Parts: sequence; structure tokens; C-alpha cells
Amino acid sequence: MTPDTGLVAAALLAALLRATVPILFAALAGTVSERAGVINVGLEGLMLVAAFFGVMGTVWAPQWLPGAGAGLHAALGAAIGLAASVALALLLGLTHLRWGADLIVAGIGINLLAAGATVFLLALWAGDKGSTAQLASLALPALPIPGLDRWPLLDALLNGDDRRGHHVLLWAGLAAVPLLHALLAHTRFGLRLRATGEQPEAALAAGVAVDRVRYAALALSGLLAGCGGLYLSMGYLTLFQADMTGGRGFIALAAVFLGGRTPLGAFAASLLFGACAVGATQLGLLDWPPQAVQMLPALATLAAMVLFGWQRRRRARRRAAADFARWQAAAASSS
Amino acid sequence: MGRVDQASAPVAGHTPARAGTGRTSAQAGTGRIPAQAGPDRTPAALLLALAIAFALLCLVSSEPVNALRLLLTGALPEPRWSAEGGWVLGRLARFGAVLEKTALLTLLGLGMLFGLRARQFSMGADGQMMLAALAALAAGVAMPPLGGASWLLAGAVAVAVGFTFGLLPGWLKTRFEANEIVSSLMLNIVALQAYRWIVAQGFNDPAAGFLATPALAAAARPPLLAGFSALLLLIVLAPWAAGLVLNRSTVGYELRVVGDAPAFARQAGLPVARSIVLAMAIGGAFAGGAGWLLSHGLLGRLPADLPAGLGFEGLVVALLAANEPRRVPWAAFGYALLEGGAQAMERASDVPREMVLVIQALVVLAVVSVRLDPLAALRRGWARWSGGAAPGLPGLEARP
Repeated sequence: MTPDTGLVAAALLAALLRATVPILFAALAGTVSERAGVINVGLEGLMLVAAFFGVMGTVWAPQWLPGAGAGLHAALGAAIGLAASVALALLLGLTHLRWGADLIVAGIGINLLAAGATVFLLALWAGDKGSTAQLASLALPALPIPGLDRWPLLDALLNGDDRRGHHVLLWAGLAAVPLLHALLAHTRFGLRLRATGEQPEAALAAGVAVDRVRYAALALSGLLAGCGGLYLSMGYLTLFQADMTGGRGFIALAAVFLGGRTPLGAFAASLLFGACAVGATQLGLLDWPPQAVQMLPALATLAAMVLFGWQRRRRARRRAAADFARWQAAAASSS
Repeated sequence: MGRVDQASAPVAGHTPARAGTGRTSAQAGTGRIPAQAGPDRTPAALLLALAIAFALLCLVSSEPVNALRLLLTGALPEPRWSAEGGWVLGRLARFGAVLEKTALLTLLGLGMLFGLRARQFSMGADGQMMLAALAALAAGVAMPPLGGASWLLAGAVAVAVGFTFGLLPGWLKTRFEANEIVSSLMLNIVALQAYRWIVAQGFNDPAAGFLATPALAAAARPPLLAGFSALLLLIVLAPWAAGLVLNRSTVGYELRVVGDAPAFARQAGLPVARSIVLAMAIGGAFAGGAGWLLSHGLLGRLPADLPAGLGFEGLVVALLAANEPRRVPWAAFGYALLEGGAQAMERASDVPREMVLVIQALVVLAVVSVRLDPLAALRRGWARWSGGAAPGLPGLEARP
């Protein structure tokens, strides 16, 4: 392997991570809520709202705190974006847990609300129904790792092809995977959350405040999905566009189930979808019609769902066959 | 506080479907379907959504009352007095557009309704409609007029395409356990891009002036009745047909049982998987009808940039109609009126028309929140404020 191909591979890997992170955040958000038994179909909407209010927050912040630095303004914007997505997630919890709404329809309603409200407020505040391109908004910073000049391959991998470092939320997303795994598997809260999802009555009888755990799970999913949205509008791009999530929230929903409802599995599935997105942009460089390229991630999602479903089915069938053989042997030996 | 009551209610919704392990909450039934919510609470939900909308208008507009008036009545015909002609109705063209939108939304609402009645959340109406519209148009362009009946044949093509494409999410779900929300949305993307691809790469008319398919010949289009396409009769005919299928056929009975009581359906030996697939496919057939209306009734030629997202409006209509076919046209009419009014509002006040998207979402949330009763809450609040414990005032009993 020449250093050149190595560099290309490192650059591709960095691109893969960039495409993966928004899906990863949303998939982790979906995993948390699903494990608590309140699947969050509104991930797409939560991402949109966070992306929008993050941008608007950085537009407002300089007016509120004129003396502070740009870093503080960006952080304030991010906090506003996250607060918005958590609030919307709690609204979903309120409609389902308190007002008895069907969780899935309510989740779709949350998506509609987010899509409508962001465009409405965009028209109102930015005077433009397409994007906030005319407003000056800030990005969250990148985190370069210094002292890697001597190893260009490692440098390209850890600092990206432009050597300016990866976005802070990219590192956060990668860190969130083991953290969420630890939270679910090794803490008291994680145990209660899983119990709430698996057997809510048993959890209730054991004294777990089922509703409260579910609110907490939804709030956490709002926080994570919000990070994914912020990555889109304050990292990937530094503006908000109408419908800029482009179905990532729904692809993430597929990733939750493909990943077997675990954080590590969600990470693997998100990588798969990220790879599809990167592959699609690479194919776009060839002479493919743009419609075919835009179709690819959706087709890949469908193909992955079919493949995993088929495998799950085969495994279940094999288990049933083994059970039957065991039962037959037991019946033969007892008679 | 009623802590226990709150906690146990969603739990009860989960139990029957959760017997097996590894079952996910997206596949398990969660909560109630609006059709069985008991007394009709749609008006209250609508009022609540409009009240929130008005509060929003007060926040963002300098003339909220005027904006609300335009939103609600801006699309209605306006009786006007003129010296030479006496009373005439103004704005009839705009009202015609409302009627056309009503027909489209009726069909899309019916397309969503079948899935919802079987408790399936297929969101694929968008893609089904687009592909069906394209197929109907291609059939209409390719066929000879057949004595003026080719539009009927094109309709059959559209319905067949919608049915087939609507079959896919159900098949993927029953065969591969693929979540139907995700798969139908992905299929929408595929259909949308396929539609654009076909129109952009081959099936277009260079003389159109914009990227669009060839136009239908006048002989290939349905006859006009009083200036409107005869296909607007679907406003009446489609709900009637849907009611027939849903309430008077075995397939309809089976899918209602599967939706209302999945455990019972399985126990009684009903073909659950087939019902699930058929529910989505029949919905697809109605969405295909919407495509037919689009190509043959409303447009006559299809532009490459057909707007996406109409399927979600169908969901709003189905929910507003409480999943009752008879009520779908009224819900569609109300929604189309609101949308026409929003355009009038944008022109004549300082509120952008995207307001209607917010109202749409608020309506969905208010309609599905079956335990949210704003009137009971008001009454409770009044009782508390006026010293509480007034024996004549129903307090907590109002809550189901």
C-alpha cells in the first residue's frame, strides 16, 4: 500500500464518519426510547428543530451577550437548539403518557409539527422560506489533535483531510456509543429503563416509576437527536435549510432495529448507512443520473431491512427445528 | 394526582402484544386508535388546535383577528352586491380549487384510512400516488381514445399500480419483519426519484416549456360536468366504495378485527398477515385513484417537480375523519378550505401560509390525544378557581 492510497483511504474513512454521525446520534436516540418501550418516531422532527433553533440561537446570541466571544455564542445557540428538541420530545411524552395518544401517530404529528414550525418560523424570522443563508450563524468548533504531523496517515484519520480536526460533535457521537452502552447495561437507571421497556407491569410492581423513566428516556432521546440535528446545521453546514434532515431520522429508525436495539448495533448499522451515503456521493462523481444517486440510500435501507429480516427468520426457524428435534428425542427416550 | 392511573394506562396497552420476547414497541400496539375513542371529540380537538393557532397568531402578527378571519373564510365564495348584476358570488375560481383539493385529499385520506383501521402505519401514499399518476398518464397518452372510455381504463391502471406499490410495505413487514413506517417512507423516496428520473430522462414533452410529461389529448380526458372534471364525483363515490369494502366485505371485516383486536384475530384463525398486506394495498389503490385524479382530472400533464408530502395531508384527513369513510370528504373539505384560506392570509396579512402546516400538526396531536379534554380541564380549573368542591360541577368524573 503506497502512502497515497493510504491517505485516500483515511480521507474516505473521515468522510464516512462525517456521514455517519447524524444518523448515529438519531439511532442512539431511537435506541434509548425503544428500550424504554416508547419508540420515538419523531426523531426526524427533533433533529430539524434542534438544527433550526441552534442556528437561530447563534443569530440571537450576539444581541443578548454582545461582549462574549464567538465560542460562547455558538455554545449558547447549541444549548437553545438542544432545549428545543428536548422540549419537543417531552411534548411527545406528554401526549402519549398523559393524554393517551397513540405513540406512533403522535410521533408522526411531532414530525409534521417540526417540519411546519421550522418553515413557518424561517419565513417569519429570516424572511426566506428556503434557508437561513442570509443570516450570519456560527458553527461549533472542530477539535484538532496536535502533534501528529509526523504521521500523515494518522493525521488524516484523526484530523480529517484538511487537518483542521474533526467536529466536536463527531467526537461526542463516537463517545456516546460506549457511554450509552454503559448507561443501559451497568447503571441502576439503565436497568430500570430496560425493565420498563420489557415488562412495564413488573417494573411498576417493583416500584419503578414507569412514566417517569419513560419521560426521562424521551428527554434523553431528544438530547441525542438534537445533537444529530446540530451537527447538520452547525458543523456539516453553517446554516439551516428547510427539511435539511432529509429522512435521516427515519433511516436512523431503521438502524435501531437493524442494530438489534443496542447502542453498539446501532453504531454498526449507522456506519452501514453512512457508507451508503458516501458511496452515493462517490457515484455522483461518475456520470450517474442524480435521481439514481439520491435513490441509493433508500434502496440500501430497504435491502438491509430485507436481509436482516430474512436472517432473523432463518435463525428462528433453525431454533424451532432444534427445539423440535430435542422434543422428539425426549419423547422417543421416554416412551 | 392519580399517579397509578396514569402509569398503568399505557401499560395496559402494551400487554397483549408483548408476550413474546424481542418484540419491539413499534410492532406492538401502543395506545388507542382514534376510531374507538368513544364519544366524538374531534370538534373539541379542532377547537383546541385552532385556539393554539390563534394564540400563535397573536404572538407573530400585528393583526391576528384579521389573519384568523382570512384563514377560516378566505377560500369561501364571497357574496357581493353589484349595481348591474344584483348579488353575485365572488372568488369562485378559488373555491373551485378548494373543491379539486377536496377530491384529492378525500382519496388520499381514504388511502391512509385502510392502513390505520388495521393499525398499520404505512406512509406510502405519496409514492403510490406519483407512480400511479405517471402510469395513468402514460396509458392515456399511449391508448387510442376507445370511444371516449380510455380514461376509465387509465383509472384501472392507476388503481392497479397503487395497489401493487401499496402491497410492498405490507409484504416486507409480514415476510421480513421490516417496520412499515420506515419501509414505506423509503419506498416514497424511491418512487419520487423514479418519477423524476422517468420524466427527466425520457418521458417528457420538449414543447411544454417546462420539464413535464406530454399532455393528454382532450379525447382521452374524462368529460366535464358544469365546468369541472367528472372525476370530482369521486368526492362522493370513493368514500361510498371505501365504506362498502370496509363495512360490507369479508376483507374489510378481517382487517377491522386485526386492527381492533389483533390477539383475538390470531386466536380466531383470521389470516392476520394477509389482512395486514391487503389493508395497505387497498389503501394504495385509493392513493392510486388520487394519482388518476391528478393526471386525468386536475393537471392533464404532470410536471417533473410534483410536490411531495401530500400523503401526510391524507393522514391528517383520515385522523380528522376518525377513520370513518363517510366523514372523510368533510374532513378533506375542511382541510382544503383551511389551505385555501392560508393562501389568502399570506396575500392579505403579515402571516406566511406555512401557518397551516403548524395547524395541521396541532390537529394531529390534538385528535390523537384521546384523554386530553380541554373542556373538562377548563371546568376543573373553574371549579378550583371558584373555591373548588362545588358539588354540582363534575370534576374528575369528566375524565374517562
